[in-house]
Amino acid sequence: MDLGTQKVKAVVLKDNMVVGRGQAYSGFDPTSAAKAAVNASLKQANAQLTDVACFVATGSSMELAPYAKSTVSMMGADAKAATYRFPKARTIIDVGAEEARAVKCDERGVMTDFVVNERCAAGAGTFIEAMARALEVKLEEMGPLSLKAERASQINASCVIFGESDVVSLIHRQEPKAEIARAIFDAMADRISSMVHRLGVNPEVILVGGVAKDPGFVSSLNRKLSVKVLVPEYPDFNGALGAALTAVNRCKGGQK
Amino acid sequence: MTIEKPERKYTPEISAKEIQELRKTIRSSSEKVIADNIARMKKADPKRPYSMLYFDEIADLFGKRQQEIEAEKAKGKKVIGYTCLFAPTELILAADAIPVRVNSGWFDAAKLGDRVVPVEVCPVLRSTIGAKMIELSPFLEQSDALISILTCDGMTKFGDIMSDYKPVWRMSVPRIKDESHSMRFWYDEIKLIKNQIEKFTGNKITKGKLKEAILETQRATRAFRRLQELRKGSPVITGRDAMLVNQTYLWDDKKRWTEKVEALCKELENRAQRHDWVCPPDTPRVMLTGTPMFWPDSWKLPNLVEEANPKGIIVADELCSGERILNDPVGVDEWTIDDMLNAIGQRHLMASTCPCFTSEDGNQDRLNWLLNKIKENNVQGVIYYVIRGCILYAMEYTRIKKALDKINIPVYYLDTEYTREDVGQMKTRVEAFLEMLSVQVDI
Amino acid sequence: MQRRTEITSQTIADKEFWRWSEYHRVITGKKWRSTDILTAGVDVGSVGSKAAVMINGEAYAWAITRTGSNSPDSATKVLDWALKDTGLKVGDLKFIVGTGYGRVNVPMANKAITEIACHGKGANYIWGPTVRTVLDVGGQDIKAIRIDQTGKVCSFLMNDKCAAGTGRGMEVFADLLKIPIEQIGEISLKVEEEPPPVSCTCVAFAKTEAMGLLRKGWSKEKVLAAYTRAMAIRMANLINRVGLERELVITGGQSKNIGIVRRIEKVLEIKCLPMPRWQDTGLDPMIAGALGAALFAKSLYEKAQKG
Repeated sequence: MDLGTQKVKAVVLKDNMVVGRGQAYSGFDPTSAAKAAVNASLKQANAQLTDVACFVATGSSMELAPYAKSTVSMMGADAKAATYRFPKARTIIDVGAEEARAVKCDERGVMTDFVVNERCAAGAGTFIEAMARALEVKLEEMGPLSLKAERASQINASCVIFGESDVVSLIHRQEPKAEIARAIFDAMADRISSMVHRLGVNPEVILVGGVAKDPGFVSSLNRKLSVKVLVPEYPDFNGALGAALTAVNRCKGGQK
Repeated sequence: MTIEKPERKYTPEISAKEIQELRKTIRSSSEKVIADNIARMKKADPKRPYSMLYFDEIADLFGKRQQEIEAEKAKGKKVIGYTCLFAPTELILAADAIPVRVNSGWFDAAKLGDRVVPVEVCPVLRSTIGAKMIELSPFLEQSDALISILTCDGMTKFGDIMSDYKPVWRMSVPRIKDESHSMRFWYDEIKLIKNQIEKFTGNKITKGKLKEAILETQRATRAFRRLQELRKGSPVITGRDAMLVNQTYLWDDKKRWTEKVEALCKELENRAQRHDWVCPPDTPRVMLTGTPMFWPDSWKLPNLVEEANPKGIIVADELCSGERILNDPVGVDEWTIDDMLNAIGQRHLMASTCPCFTSEDGNQDRLNWLLNKIKENNVQGVIYYVIRGCILYAMEYTRIKKALDKINIPVYYLDTEYTREDVGQMKTRVEAFLEMLSVQVDI
Repeated sequence: MQRRTEITSQTIADKEFWRWSEYHRVITGKKWRSTDILTAGVDVGSVGSKAAVMINGEAYAWAITRTGSNSPDSATKVLDWALKDTGLKVGDLKFIVGTGYGRVNVPMANKAITEIACHGKGANYIWGPTVRTVLDVGGQDIKAIRIDQTGKVCSFLMNDKCAAGTGRGMEVFADLLKIPIEQIGEISLKVEEEPPPVSCTCVAFAKTEAMGLLRKGWSKEKVLAAYTRAMAIRMANLINRVGLERELVITGGQSKNIGIVRRIEKVLEIKCLPMPRWQDTGLDPMIAGALGAALFAKSLYEKAQKG
């Protein structure tokens, strides 16, 4: 289970293969949300709660997870899952709703170094949501819209609120929405690539987290990093997958 | 003379491809900023003096001057870079070498510096480090050695970091300048650096050469002061133009610069006689003080001030990137080597108003300088400019404010970063400040 | 006697907790003649747009709307609305001053003046010559302004680099806790004991902070109180830095947040001048900027006439 600030994601593994996925909004009660996510994933796997040998939790609210007897850090989970999907993965960038982090790992998927963007929500998913609201564009349309732009407008990326009002004034000046959308992604990508550089960019670079689903962000990040990032399927489930993989190791010798 | 390449202690290895790409992007954007700044300065003064065209040319950091220095280097001349005005440029000139100040004025380069030092560190330093990483700055690249002056904490470690790339010679500045042993200590530092320069360039600094260098600097100082005199009355030159002229001294050929400034002053004196003001004489007269503003990106604030609604005019500054560069002459009594070295030491140390100093009366030198300027240049308001991360200037603010409050001169504390993001916010604050100073919206 | 027109309905307030009432008002007792000096001030803020119309420097009509993104002509819209039911057209106005964040976007303005100067002037108009310190909390700005007895600005300070405590911040909060923004002040005072202020005021992290507190068993009112207290402390600090001199008034949207006002008064140990009863007879502090602008318009017009 990955108990994130916005959503809880759950992944079920059977014989090291993914057989079920589930998610639910965290809201004010992440524990219940986790239960719902786990149930959804088990339904997909045609399994029962009692079939599960081991639960491991990760995420910013991991201490609230039901069922799990142990936890793993988000960084560790990221590293494990990324190398599972891309054996050559050495740098993982995880951009979630309120936090972004970069993780370095070795060929075994063991984390060797990491860096987290602290105290700055302008480098995470919340930023895009707030900007999309200000632009009056649906969140899922932001990416495709931004890809239409040749250049990016100038916006304040240090604060969600100031960024919002920049967007409003750009619209007043009749700047094309596509260029504003691109500016938003560029600003975020800039912040995140700065953070990644502090770690050092070792190929291959994997991008995960909810924001990885957005083609606009991926395009901006590729440009700022001067490297093409690889995005796995269901990138927002990477953390949950990593926790599940950790569970495999931890519960060896347990019941089937 | 071969120089050993030191092992990289701080800076990461970057692929040649990435260096080239980043340099290309930032350089082309910088060229646009330079062109844009100059266009705006031209627009602000439709009768801009003809002499300014020369300085516009020198303002192109990637142009004529870079080529000239390259040609000089090909003839065997050495280039010695420095970051603070404490560096005894007279010694560099006397050794037939070329002095250049290498602080970076590129906002975009600061982000690259983030890979080496955290974002809390002085943006000017971060930007200079970033510029070095991608070989962006012509003058920094052309420097064969750097003089690193240990004024503030940032500058101290900066020298360390630069030694990853070039030979760095360090000079300690005594933080209490008015103690007798301070000047003795500083004199020793001057002697040491003189030996260093001689060894490096292979040229002995003779009495004759040193005298010539000092005389040249004195001539430059006279021209410089002549220009600043012309800012005391009704405006015959925009603040930005004057600031640009002042700052080009830091990398230009000194002799030629002096000649061109004299020519400019002649034009301006004619203008003054004709009462041909660059803007209405009742335009609010503003002074800037605080952390240095390096060309081209740091024209952000001066552009705002002089293009605001209501407009202001920058009639003076207390900046080590501006009026502090050449304000004080080297005062020599006897032309012996000792005396000359002493005079150089005095001029660079005792005259400095940098906030890195402290003493029983605090940094009284700076306060006096400000109060004097306010009176002589009829300053109506002061913008206290601090780049976020600069502790020294930030901490002196309340003292300056108290003193200026006593004489009813409004001060506005404006802090910013090496970024273009906050131009909108800054505009509101600057305009509100100018409104306060202006008499036009009086009821 | 005044007429009021509100365009919000209770159903909208249920869904969009951050939405405050937009309205326009005309003081019907007043009449204008074409020989009067008719001026207007248009204050285009980042969140709200306000317009005020004056007859010879006396308030006559005004309007407040939300500066949307789908109305690049919010200046035109709000001014038209202020003029509604006055019988006046934009062309009848002798001089118009634009102010606020969007002051360069006021196409009909003869001049633009910053909102700092306008709020100073406006506060002086609303409360009189005893005002010396003005706290204006706008959509994305907090300003502390020192003025003299004529409303002229002596010095000012603004919030830097952080939108905590601004109108937008409070809107985000109201929405988060599902409390209608117009009640946010009252509700924050419904606590038995004042909780400690929150340590992290960053609007972007508001959700996580709030959730953490709610999970600890705090009531919505308590969470709101803790936030409001932290915001009020920020604002009080700004006032102290610019130097507090009586009398103190609060303008801008947050002036209606009684939770903020009471807490600022507590920290500074001073009572603000009471808000005029704007719902009935008084002037809305939210239009202080627009009023100041309209007053500047009058004197600029008079100055121009003198030649």
